[in-house]
Amino acid sequence: MVKIILPAGWTMGRTEFEGSEGLLPDVIRRFAADNPSYGPRLLGPDDQLLTYINLSIDDDLILRAERAGTEVPAGSTVVVTAPMAGG
Amino acid sequence: MGDMLRIPGSTFLQGSPPWLLDWLEEQDQPLPRRWFADETPQLPRTLPEFRLDRYPVTVAEFTEFAQATGYRSDAEEIGFGMVYAEASWEERAGACWHSPGGPGTTTAGYDDHPVVHMSWNDATAYAQWAGKRLPTEAEWEFAAHGPDFRIWPWGDTWKSDCAATAEFYAGALNSLGAWREWWRTMHARYGAMPRTTPVGSFSDLGDSVFGCGDMAGNVYEWTSTLTRLYDEATECDPSVKMAVGRYRVMRGGSWMNFRYQVRCTERIHGDPTGWSSFAVGFRCAKDA
Repeated sequence: MVKIILPAGWTMGRTEFEGSEGLLPDVIRRFAADNPSYGPRLLGPDDQLLTYINLSIDDDLILRAERAGTEVPAGSTVVVTAPMAGG
Repeated sequence: MGDMLRIPGSTFLQGSPPWLLDWLEEQDQPLPRRWFADETPQLPRTLPEFRLDRYPVTVAEFTEFAQATGYRSDAEEIGFGMVYAEASWEERAGACWHSPGGPGTTTAGYDDHPVVHMSWNDATAYAQWAGKRLPTEAEWEFAAHGPDFRIWPWGDTWKSDCAATAEFYAGALNSLGAWREWWRTMHARYGAMPRTTPVGSFSDLGDSVFGCGDMAGNVYEWTSTLTRLYDEATECDPSVKMAVGRYRVMRGGSWMNFRYQVRCTERIHGDPTGWSSFAVGFRCAKDA
């Protein structure tokens, strides 16, 4: 399992969710499928990760060009940050 | 170019006092206390005298810059800008400062509105061309509330007719669902066009003690300040922690927001690597 953290501004409260390990885009796609209300904030109509969201794994920001090949290991934490954080 | 106001040098407390977070928790708004924690604790800041644009940079002013220099904004270079479509944010191809809702939209009639779809790079480039700079976060906040704390630039009592916010158009809003309902109506009528107002529309009633207008609402405004917590030990939203050292602080909230997001001490953190949206603009500062 992995921990997925969303901004409270998206959820209006709860920020921690569970997901499953794997390649980063797949982790996010599975999460969006399990939590469809957050899908449009994470994926475009083509099911690809939105360009402008930022993703980090255990506090390391994953560069956009490296997302596709980045593995999310079991036990790690993925933080989703919108281009505008807080507010 | 628009007027600049002289802001006196001063020492003041930047950030929100503890009672403000208590007050926010008591209000009819859905966000948890931790969401606002990055505004605390208050810290003393000393600023020398400086000058600040009275209003955000307008479409007409940015047009002059683009025509004089051939500058192409980040949204133009990347090929899309962020707009809120009927029900969610969207990377809309062709959306940029002169086509704020995307292809087929223009800024006709918007000359005196704040320019939008401005990335941090765009704002910085304009400021340099104009012989100015972006304000620091501390300068922006001091210009908004003056030497003493106040919730909004005009005082501590909310007035929906003093700022371009969603509540100016819709009346009191207290949930994301109510906001979405309002936006659906706007989107059906106007499409994904920003609901900005001409700069100065709320002067003098909505102005700060120094006479700065549109400090609450209209457009989010970039500052030059890199995101840091006022106290590293502050427990705040994890996404804000991710922004520390990476994002730049924006201030003032926008036409999209509720009253709580357009407070003088509200902090928003923006990705400065080229991102922009149809609610983001800026104003400039200058040393005295």
